[in-house]
Amino acid sequence: MDTNLRQTICETLSEVFETMYFTFLEPLFETPPPEEIVADDGYYEATITFQGVKSGTLSFYLPKNLARGITVNFLGVDEVDVNEAQVLDTVKETANMAVGSLLGRIDPGGATKLGLPQSRVAADFSTEALRAQPGLFLFNTEQGLLWVVYEGE
Amino acid sequence: MAFNILVADDSETMRAVVKKTVEMSGVPIGEFHEAANGKEALAILENNWIDVILSDINMPEMGGMELLRTVSASEDYKRIPLIFITTESSEARMEEAKSLGVAGYIKKPFVPETIKAILYEVLAKAYEHRLASDMPHRDDTNSDMDF
Repeated sequence: MDTNLRQTICETLSEVFETMYFTFLEPLFETPPPEEIVADDGYYEATITFQGVKSGTLSFYLPKNLARGITVNFLGVDEVDVNEAQVLDTVKETANMAVGSLLGRIDPGGATKLGLPQSRVAADFSTEALRAQPGLFLFNTEQGLLWVVYEGE
Repeated sequence: MAFNILVADDSETMRAVVKKTVEMSGVPIGEFHEAANGKEALAILENNWIDVILSDINMPEMGGMELLRTVSASEDYKRIPLIFITTESSEARMEEAKSLGVAGYIKKPFVPETIKAILYEVLAKAYEHRLASDMPHRDDTNSDMDF
């Protein structure tokens, strides 16, 4: 993947997480060994596609702990007041904001159309499958590893 | 006199965040209406007096740009200022919105001060006669962009 695009994706994701969720992302340049990856209670997945001058898909995999944390920060409420529908909605909106913002940077002409984001519980989440992805981005957060996969031109 | 506000966004959590931000801005709020897309927003406009619309662009069923086109073309609704709160931040999209008469444009991700600043500016422009007595003194805030 183009180094500039990789850098732009990292900057865009960091801006979204810091501005909206007060959550800092630390890019990781090597995938930790499996035994160091802890995901006690599973992952949520959000995906969004875009088509035009640039076409592709971005997929986000958030540990449930991180997803709950950003939802709490986003809504400004206590964790006990957050339900799963709100968490799934926040995860979906994260994909929307991140890729919408990314397209504003890489396609200022606005010819690329953003699809509608989707989110779900990632029951089939597998770190082994993601490790093989050439467009993998990994970020360390205080609430677990954020996995992002870019598939596209 | 308070302002009736309509927020259109397919994300329920985003609507809640916008609502909380507007409530904290000091703008006197009368009724607060929520819609999940442009169609729902138009249905609300049919049955309620709305003073300002805050809308996303990328929504299912009917997006924000089509909502803006409809509002701008309607004799009944064209008085209502519409502010986009959206991830779609390309220059081309902003120019398209401007040509259709959008009152303000807020890019996601945003800080609450941006919504506050642009909302004040838009309301001041559209309802100057109501503001002198209704609005608290505006703080100095920075806006990313407004028209």
